[in-house]
Amino acid sequence: MRLELRGLTKTYGGLTALDHVNITFTEGIYGILGANGAGKSTMMNLLTDNIPRTEGQILFDGVDILRWGKDFRRVLGYMPQQQGYYEHMTAQTFLYYMADLKAIPKKRAERQIDRLLAVTGLSDVRHKKLGGYSGGMKQRVLLAQALLGNPRVVILDEPTAGLDPRERIRIRNFISSLSRGRIILLATHIVSDIESISDRILMMKKGRVVGVDTPANLIDSVADKVKELPCGSVGLERMQRWYRVGNVFQRNGETWVRVVGDQLPVEGEYVPDHLTLEDVYLYYLGE
Amino acid sequence: MRELGRIVRNRRFALALALILLANGVLFVREQRDRDYGLDCELPAGSYVVFDGSFEPARETVDPAAAYGRYLDWLDRLGDMPLAEAAALLAEEREALTRKIGGDAATDSEKLDYAAVGRLLDQTDYLTGYGGWLDGVRKSRDDLLTFSIFNDPDSFSGRNIIKTAEEFEKLEGVELTLGADGAVEAVLSFRLTDYFLAAVLLLFALSFLEERKAGLWSVVHAAPDGRLQLAVRRAAILLGVSAGGVALLYGTDLAIGFSLYGGADGLGRAAQSAEVLGRLPELWTVGGFLGRFLLLRTAAAFFTGLLLWLLLAAVDNVKYAVVAAAGVLAAEYGLYTFLPVQSSFNVLKYFNLFTYVSLSDLYTNYLNIDLLGFPLGIRSISQLALIPLCLASAAACIFVQCRKKPAAGRDRLGRAAYRINRAADRLLRRLRLLGMELYKTLWLQKGVVIAALLVYTAAGLTYVVKIPVASAEEQTAREYTARFAGEITDGTFARMDGEEAELDAKTAAYEEAKAAYERGETDLSSLDGCAREASAAETRRKGLAAVRARAEELRTLGAEKSFTPWLIDEIPFESVYGSQAEGNQLRAAAAAVLALTLLLAGGAAYERQSGVVLLLRSTARGRGALLLRKLLLAAAMAGLVWAVVYGMELYALLTGFSVSAWRAPVQNLSMLAGFPAPCSVAGWLAALYAGRWFALFCGGVIVLAVSGLARRVEAACIACGGVMLLPSLLYAYLGVEAFRPLACIRPVAAMPLLNAAGGGAAEWLLCCAALAGLAVCAACFLNT
Repeated sequence: MRLELRGLTKTYGGLTALDHVNITFTEGIYGILGANGAGKSTMMNLLTDNIPRTEGQILFDGVDILRWGKDFRRVLGYMPQQQGYYEHMTAQTFLYYMADLKAIPKKRAERQIDRLLAVTGLSDVRHKKLGGYSGGMKQRVLLAQALLGNPRVVILDEPTAGLDPRERIRIRNFISSLSRGRIILLATHIVSDIESISDRILMMKKGRVVGVDTPANLIDSVADKVKELPCGSVGLERMQRWYRVGNVFQRNGETWVRVVGDQLPVEGEYVPDHLTLEDVYLYYLGE
Repeated sequence: MRELGRIVRNRRFALALALILLANGVLFVREQRDRDYGLDCELPAGSYVVFDGSFEPARETVDPAAAYGRYLDWLDRLGDMPLAEAAALLAEEREALTRKIGGDAATDSEKLDYAAVGRLLDQTDYLTGYGGWLDGVRKSRDDLLTFSIFNDPDSFSGRNIIKTAEEFEKLEGVELTLGADGAVEAVLSFRLTDYFLAAVLLLFALSFLEERKAGLWSVVHAAPDGRLQLAVRRAAILLGVSAGGVALLYGTDLAIGFSLYGGADGLGRAAQSAEVLGRLPELWTVGGFLGRFLLLRTAAAFFTGLLLWLLLAAVDNVKYAVVAAAGVLAAEYGLYTFLPVQSSFNVLKYFNLFTYVSLSDLYTNYLNIDLLGFPLGIRSISQLALIPLCLASAAACIFVQCRKKPAAGRDRLGRAAYRINRAADRLLRRLRLLGMELYKTLWLQKGVVIAALLVYTAAGLTYVVKIPVASAEEQTAREYTARFAGEITDGTFARMDGEEAELDAKTAAYEEAKAAYERGETDLSSLDGCAREASAAETRRKGLAAVRARAEELRTLGAEKSFTPWLIDEIPFESVYGSQAEGNQLRAAAAAVLALTLLLAGGAAYERQSGVVLLLRSTARGRGALLLRKLLLAAAMAGLVWAVVYGMELYALLTGFSVSAWRAPVQNLSMLAGFPAPCSVAGWLAALYAGRWFALFCGGVIVLAVSGLARRVEAACIACGGVMLLPSLLYAYLGVEAFRPLACIRPVAAMPLLNAAGGGAAEWLLCCAALAGLAVCAACFLNT
């Protein structure tokens, strides 16, 4: 199973949101990192054929998804970033409606809905109207609908936003358990989610893919690019002007900063054993 | 002020208030027109009309506005004339006018005088009889307490009689005068203003729950001024709104009333001079009454507003609060409206919120209720209770606002709702896509309410017009048509010949009788009988001749155009589908189009508003299959509207008339003589109703297309209303001919099928627009 993006371009008037993106997705979980406006959502909307592309192709198993038509959408599970739902519908009715739209036979839909409601922790409130749900609960309903029908391609835009840590871990583990035999594209700002479950991470900046690799390799790639050093409040301002500053923290009564980049201050110490994906994010995607 | 500003700055809220004010003014004026400005504008019977195959006298009417102008002229003419003298003059005038109208000798001006004098005569009758009525009340007391079987002064009846007489005793010697009381009567009888005022108060009470809906209740409750201060401010706002609402709504009514009914000159007269206030046992002037009424109206509105606020604030969840408040209000209204006056529970009828909503009842009726054997005057108790009730309600509202904790309540209604949802979910899980679309339209978007309103509206529509008959000959012709109805054959003419022979025999009998009378062989009464029969026969002969001519014309036409000639009773078709019924047809079509527009306006916009478009389009059946279901939904909604509106029309045709000529070619009907295709009456009716459904379906597609371009349901409703109804209203109600091709009520009424000269431009435009709509829908649903 392969999902290929070939020269995929999308422009809005004079603005290029996605610029000749070439990438091939195979089975596994892909974390997509990028600042706001990097082109993540545009790419997801192109993959779901929710916006027309300007140029390029999206091939699923060698055939353009436009030719696949609804057969591609049959294997697709999509959770948009924006929470969209019928507020007067109950979670159960909403899921049955989505199951029907996904052409899932009733019996199978029934089993899957029960299971997904249990996994997302919504079984006890399945008859409550969505308008009365908290943000996290709505997020879980949307995740459940995306996973209906055992889709082979799952596109999740910010799936864990608004969830408490326990829920996030549970959902994250569930997504991780789904990866066999599926392509899962997961865009999120919570880098720890990507770090723990992604097979590969795709980094996007200004409509271009600036790097794709495993989390471990990406972290290794910034081994000598991160330093920690003490600085005063005046020094912090100067640091922020000259370097990409990560965490600012207190240590032994002093203010310390973590800086990332190719050009680092002479003072300070490297932290090769405590690198995180946040450092990678700052290194590749920070301004 | 900031709280008030927050409320009225809400655009929807401001729009609702403006609409209420506008509707109140417009409906008040309309009501006055509908009730002919309080005049009886019908003149005595003249010619005859046919309706539903039966006869009833034609009632010529005069223009009510002109008649009211004449009424005011008469009032001026009567001036300060003593009542008895005025009554005598009016009675004499009325008699003279009646004679003139009966003899067909009255001019239009005299006809107006007839209506005006009639009203004045009614007024003088009331005024001259009022003293007698007061005497009657007193005499009842004296009689009943002396020798009636109800003479127990310790019973409720006895006490009631004594109390009534005592209360009205103060009116002894009250001087009643003639004047224009229309404005006061109109204001007191126009109940919609009472409900509009309640609606304004409800809107404000609902606006106090905004923070709950917006999830800001905790924030507001935690703010320093978020409890007592806010509650007091809100109570003050309700008081201000009550005063302002009364001033605006009743002020509008009074201003319009005074301008329509001849000014405010009579405000210094005794209140009882206006018949509507005849049962008010207070020595007030009309102006004094109005001042007190408006003051009490304000206090009653304040109490109503507070009570609504209390009901809504008592339940945590806003939706359940609305449901609970609606339940309480429905129960109160039910008790107020349906509980009989004589019921032993009538305390519930009068100690009721709606007593304060419909305040005018307290002044137009006099009633004491039985409370433990003692008569209690509803008006005085309600008035006295008002201030304590306002204070108690305000205290309760403030208490609830201060003490109710945003996160404390156990949501009992929520649990009940959860159980209901669970039961509903069991049914909903069985629905397929089309079923879900129907569910979304009828339930989630409140389409059932629109459907119920449509049923109510359609039941109130008129589908049949009265076709007047100009002469006795025409009436006879209709009778003969009904008798000879059927395929026109030689036998038809033979039967007509037979009938004619009978008529000839009657004429001959008269001639013989005349000769015999001249010879002295018969008396005058026998001759008179024969003369009457011969005269009737002459009339019938003319009618028969007209029918024969029509039959011959049809036979010739049938031979020319190759259809079988039938003699058909055309009254049913003319009454329901004829040119005189065009107004009915257009009104029915307008109701159908409005209902369809409201039902389908949310068809696509609801999904955009809910933000699920991207989600739906990413599914296998979220494009083509969903579009197909939306079109089926449009067809189903068109079918629903069609069944309600045109089902009732067909029912009116089938129950009002006995139609038997189903097989007859439709060209035999005069109104369809030029119908181009060979077709039976039944086939034509089928085509007519199928055409109407199709036109509604096309309209539905256009509505869906417009809806697909809107982001919110409200915007879609406005846009769809603009596209579907505005040209129709401009054409049909304002007579702007340029909008005729765009008036989709014409194709929905299937006008060209009804009237060959009706033209088909609108139909073609509707079809083209529907196709364009289909393309827009396809673009919305199928494309990315």
